[in-house]
Amino acid sequence: MATIVDITEEQALKVKNFEFTYAGSDEPNIKKLTMPIAKHSITALIGPSGCGKTTLLRSFNRMHDLYPANRYSGEIIFKDRNILTKNEDLIKLRTQIGMIFQKPTAFPMSIFDNVAYGLRLQGVKNKTELQGRVKKALQDAAIWQEVKDRLGHDANGLSGGQQQRLCIARAIAVEPEVLLFDEPTSALDPISTAGIEELIVGLKERVSIIIVTHNMQQAARVSDYTGFMYLGELVELGPTEELFVTPKERLTEEYITGKFG
Amino acid sequence: MTYTQKRVIANSIVMALSTLSALIGIGFLLWILSILIINGVDALSMTIFLEEGAPPGNESGGLKHALIGQLMLVGYASAFGVPLGIMAGTYLSEYGLKSKLSETIRDISDIMMSAPSIVIGAFVYAIVVAPSGQFSGWAGSIALMIIMLPIILRTTDDMLQLVPSTLREAAFALGTPKYKVITQVVYRGAKAGILTGVMLGVARVAGETAPLLFTSFNDNFLNTDMSQPMASLTVTMYNYATSPYEDWQKLGWAAAFILSMFILTLNILGRLFLLKRKGK
Amino acid sequence: MSSIIDKIFANATKFIAIGVLLLVAWIFSVLFEHSLKSIEAFGFSFLTETKWAPNLEKFGALPAIYGSVVSTFLAMILAVPIAIGIAIFLSEIAHAKIKTPVGVSIELLAAIPSVVYGMWGLFYFVPIIRDMFGGIGISMLTAGIVLSIMILPFMAAVTRDAMNTTPDILKESAYALGGTKWDVIKDIIIPYAKAGIIGSFILALGRAIGETMAVTFVMGNVHKISTDLTQPATSIPVTLANEFAEADSELYFSSLFELSLLLLVISFTIISIAKFYFLRRKRTGQ
Repeated sequence: MATIVDITEEQALKVKNFEFTYAGSDEPNIKKLTMPIAKHSITALIGPSGCGKTTLLRSFNRMHDLYPANRYSGEIIFKDRNILTKNEDLIKLRTQIGMIFQKPTAFPMSIFDNVAYGLRLQGVKNKTELQGRVKKALQDAAIWQEVKDRLGHDANGLSGGQQQRLCIARAIAVEPEVLLFDEPTSALDPISTAGIEELIVGLKERVSIIIVTHNMQQAARVSDYTGFMYLGELVELGPTEELFVTPKERLTEEYITGKFG
Repeated sequence: MTYTQKRVIANSIVMALSTLSALIGIGFLLWILSILIINGVDALSMTIFLEEGAPPGNESGGLKHALIGQLMLVGYASAFGVPLGIMAGTYLSEYGLKSKLSETIRDISDIMMSAPSIVIGAFVYAIVVAPSGQFSGWAGSIALMIIMLPIILRTTDDMLQLVPSTLREAAFALGTPKYKVITQVVYRGAKAGILTGVMLGVARVAGETAPLLFTSFNDNFLNTDMSQPMASLTVTMYNYATSPYEDWQKLGWAAAFILSMFILTLNILGRLFLLKRKGK
Repeated sequence: MSSIIDKIFANATKFIAIGVLLLVAWIFSVLFEHSLKSIEAFGFSFLTETKWAPNLEKFGALPAIYGSVVSTFLAMILAVPIAIGIAIFLSEIAHAKIKTPVGVSIELLAAIPSVVYGMWGLFYFVPIIRDMFGGIGISMLTAGIVLSIMILPFMAAVTRDAMNTTPDILKESAYALGGTKWDVIKDIIIPYAKAGIIGSFILALGRAIGETMAVTFVMGNVHKISTDLTQPATSIPVTLANEFAEADSELYFSSLFELSLLLLVISFTIISIAKFYFLRRKRTGQ
């Protein structure tokens, strides 16, 4: 049985009995998982490859729906509703729950257009409003100074670390409530990684953050809560320091001390 | 209506139009295949295979001359084109690698693969038909061989490159001379791929008409002498189908059916071969 | 001993490979050589004169050039939107179960010999045009339509391949912001794969302009320039297919060779533009 610490603060999301099976597979990838996600906090998901952490992350913004024939059941409660139902407005959901991917994904357009993309999708046309919101997003992503004189330049001219900040700016421009980070620094050098980590910590004032990482030290550095997953199940969830220093489950301890990868 | 609602509608329209396009594409395929089958099967009979061509109006005409002619033309073209193409592809993959010369050969071959085949016919006319004073099977085969060469060259090159270098290195480490490494190890590893390339090359060349029009020309009777004009299935189809005679037109459809089935079968077999290899 | 065989084998492969290059050069030179008589006789006016009269030994290639250009243009206008639609269907809409059979069917369409397309055009399409527009049904319009169906499978396949090069996470990033499929296609995929898509179109154009048999059945070979698309016409390949075997004078032959050279140069140029400017082979070291 999993050891889950009770989250007394407000919850941003709650996963209830969530089960997920990939297309063409018989075995579920995630088995009847239940888990709360705290608001205005950073929750890290760690675990060995194949444990289901990325699968779970991508369920929060219904990314799996892009690839039909996957099956899932259970509930994910967000803003008092289950977002796994068929009538959920996916477009609206994705403006409320944003995602940053493991490689920087700058769109083939200018820096400005990249950040403005989500806003334009929502129908924001007023130039002044766009400029204002783009600037704020770039400032919040700590990249405004570097790009303010070349907003019209192609985003692909930026370095990897800069592009990832750009993607973060793009995601926060639409002012989501939750941000999902899928191994966001795995393709970056240590210096850029440190910068992104600092940025993520700074964001939790306004957004609830879930970050999947295969780097335990990163989870320890950055998160408030850590969830350890193994073979599709949530083994333990608790305040990060507690989980790393005094893990309650034997499996957790073995993973943290490197007994298996 | 919100902007997002407009986007969703635009999306539905585009999706519908795209699906419609796919249906149109499939529709044409089905249309062409069905008329091929309907007309071709209707015209098929044993006489096709047993009888030579006959003057129009004579119900006993067949396609034996065209079938045998086609086999000979494509056969000789392949007999030269395949080994030459494989050798040239071997050079590119095993010796030339990424050198400027090799890249140039690859680029020119790529372009030739899309170039008009009728121009090859004109070329062969100039160097074979004009000097020899007559159309001939040899001229036709040479034209087909020239068309086949770049295809076999490129597919051999691509397939050989897919063989992992560790395989070569292991053979070299045992002291194997390079030509043996290539013929005994690399060729074996790329066997399925090269075979597929050959099949696709033969299929492509078997369907050519334009380069034969003034090289091998045509013949309404069985002729196995390559130094004389030679019948081919494709040119016979062209002549019979554009003639005003119903029995000839019927034979034209039979020829179209036989040729298309042959080519489609080669293509499908080639794909299955490649899939089987990928499955390994 | 084996070092001698090694040398022989290595040199043999090199010799043959270089031979392929030399062969192509030889083709150009032979065509040029045989065009000389016509070039000397007509010079530049070969390309501008409209009268093609073998019996008068006067050869103007403009009608053939005009026919090639117009029929190819027609074919492209019809094929491009449908090819894009099919490519979108195959890369973004179809479920895995449908994707493969439809994709393979489109590719098999491309394998059907052009003489079969010509026969189908002659027996099934010409009557339709005849009914709709009068005349004999054999015309520039019929040729353009049959040509568009011929280049459609190739264009759809390579456009789909170009679109499929777009990385999944790039597309997912756009969906993650609330984009629809069409948003992703027009804002992400098409800009990303722009070069490949345009290159595919230009490559298809290069092939279309050399297409002979499908068009020969349904175009007519009438050396006249007309704005009426329902009239028979001719193109360079159609002229060559119909007249090469019947040419009876040196000048006639030379003019046909000059047409062949022209066709080869034009298609070589178009295909090269597609290949070297738009379809640069990406060496990603996979």
